[in-house]
Amino acid sequence: MSAYLITIATLIAIYAIVVCGLNVIVGFAGQISLGHAAFFGIGAYSAALLATKGGLSFWTALPCVIAVSAFIGLLLGLPSLRVKADFLAITTIGINFIVEALFLYVPFFGGALGIGGIPRVMFFGIKLKGLAFFYLCLFFLVVVILICWWFRRSWAGLACFALREEESAAASMGISPVRFKLLAFVIGTGMAGLGGALYAHYIRFIAATDFAFPVSILFLSMVVLGGMGTLWGPVLGALILGALPEIFRPLVDYRFLFYMVLLLIMIRFQPGGLLGERSAVRRVLASIIPGAHQ
Amino acid sequence: MSQALLDIQELSKYFGGLKALDQVGFNVMGGEILGLIGPNGAGKTVCFNLISGVYRPTAGKIYFNGQRMDGTSPHQVAHKGVGRTFQIVKPFGTLSVVENVLVAKGITKYNRFSRIWSTWKSKAEINEALEMLERVGLKDLADRQAGLLPLGNLRRLEIARALLVGHKLLLLDESFSGLRHEEIVQLEELIRSIRETGITVLLIEHNMRVAMGLCDRLVVLDHGSKIAEGRPQEIQQNEKVIEAYLGRKEASDAA
Repeated sequence: MSAYLITIATLIAIYAIVVCGLNVIVGFAGQISLGHAAFFGIGAYSAALLATKGGLSFWTALPCVIAVSAFIGLLLGLPSLRVKADFLAITTIGINFIVEALFLYVPFFGGALGIGGIPRVMFFGIKLKGLAFFYLCLFFLVVVILICWWFRRSWAGLACFALREEESAAASMGISPVRFKLLAFVIGTGMAGLGGALYAHYIRFIAATDFAFPVSILFLSMVVLGGMGTLWGPVLGALILGALPEIFRPLVDYRFLFYMVLLLIMIRFQPGGLLGERSAVRRVLASIIPGAHQ
Repeated sequence: MSQALLDIQELSKYFGGLKALDQVGFNVMGGEILGLIGPNGAGKTVCFNLISGVYRPTAGKIYFNGQRMDGTSPHQVAHKGVGRTFQIVKPFGTLSVVENVLVAKGITKYNRFSRIWSTWKSKAEINEALEMLERVGLKDLADRQAGLLPLGNLRRLEIARALLVGHKLLLLDESFSGLRHEEIVQLEELIRSIRETGITVLLIEHNMRVAMGLCDRLVVLDHGSKIAEGRPQEIQQNEKVIEAYLGRKEASDAA
C-alpha cells in the first residue's frame, strides 16, 4: 500500500471508532448529539497534554484519556435528561462551540497554535508509523465493534432501545432513564476519547479547528448514512464519507454541500441508513445469503 | 381495611388553577378487581399517573403494601411490583413483539449494574417471553415489528409487558377501548385469570357493561372528586352517578 492510501485508511479507522461511539448515543439510546467532535477533541487534547507536558507514554495515558472523555461526557450528558430531541441537538451544538472556544482561547491548551510535537506511539521499543499504526487503529476498531456487538445483546442495550422508542413506557418497566442515558453517553464519549488519542498521536499536531462543529456534522452524517442503531452502519458510513472526498478530490470545496444533499437523499429514501432494517442493501444481501437479515 | 394493598388518602393534583384531582381517597384490597370509572376528564388517568409515579401529587398520600409511595419515580414504582398499561398504547415500535416483552422481563436486571451486561438473547429468556405471549394470544406474531400491529394486539402486548412487571398490582388504563366484541370477551377472560394468580387489578373503564361485569367494586370520579364507591349493583342505582353520566333530572325535563 502506498503511504497515501495508508493515511486515508488510518483516518477512516479512527473516524469509524469515533462514529461507533456516536452510534451508541444516537442510534442505540436515541439521544441526538451534534457535538460529538467536542469529545473527539477532549480525547485528543488530553492525550496530547499527557504526552507532551506529562511525559506519559501513549499506553499509560490511554486509560486516563478515555476516563477523562467519558467523565466529561457524563457531565455534559446531564442536559439530555432535561431536554429532548431538537432542544438536545441545539444544546449539544452549544457544547461543541464552548469546548472548541476553550481549546482556542485558554493558553494552557496551546491557544491558536494548538499542540505540536506529540510523540509517536511506541510498542515494545518500536515506533509505530505507517502500516503498523494503521493496524493499531484497526485493532482498537475491532475492540470497539466487539463492545457495540455485546452492548446490543445486553440488557443494558435493550434498555437503551426501549428508551429510544418510548421513554415513559420504558420507565414503567423499571428502566431508569437517567441511568441508561448517561451510560450511553459515557460509552459513546469514551470511544470518542479513544479515537481522539489515536488521532493526536497520528497527526502529531492538533488545533481547535480539528474538532469544530462541522466535524460533528460529518460524524452524524456517517451514522445516518450507514444506518443508525446498526452494528456495521457507522463503519460503512465512515468508510464512504472518509473515502469519497479523496476520490472526488477536485470537489473538496463542495464537500459539505455534498454531505447535506446526501443526508437529505438518505432521509427521504432510506431513513434507516444503508444497513438499516428493510434498506435496499439489506434486501439485496438477504436475497444473496439466506438468513443474512440477522 | 387492614390488608389494603393500595391505600390512597386525600390525593390531590392541581395543574395551575385546574383541580384535576381533589382530595380523592380509596383503598384497593389485595386480590380484588377494582374499577375506576367516570365521565371524560374526571381525573381517572391523572389518578393512574400519580400512582405510577409519572406525576407528583400536590397533596395527599399513597401507601403501597403499607409503605409510602407518592413521589416515587416511575421506574422505582415498577420495581415495587406495579405494572401499568397506557390509554394511548406505547409499543417499542421498531422492536419485535417478543423483544417488547423481553424489555419488561429485564426488570430483574435493570437495578443491578453487574446484571445489565448479561445477554437477553438466550434460549431460556426468549422461551419465557414466548410463554407470556402465548398467554395473551400473541405467540404467532412474536417476530413481527410491534409498531405495525393493530390496536387490539397492541393492547394485549401492553398487558403482557405489564404482567411481567406487576406481580403485585396491575393498572389497566382503558384496555378495552377500541376492541371488537370477541376481543373484549377474550380480554375479560384474561383479566379474570390474572386475578386467579393472586394479582390485584385496578382498571379504568369506559364501557359500563364491561366494568359492571368484571369488577368486584367500583370507584366513581367526576370533575376530580370521588362521588361514589361500592359494588356494581349499588353504583348502578346511585343517583349521583346517574346524574354525572346522564345529567340532572330537572335539566332533562326542561329540555
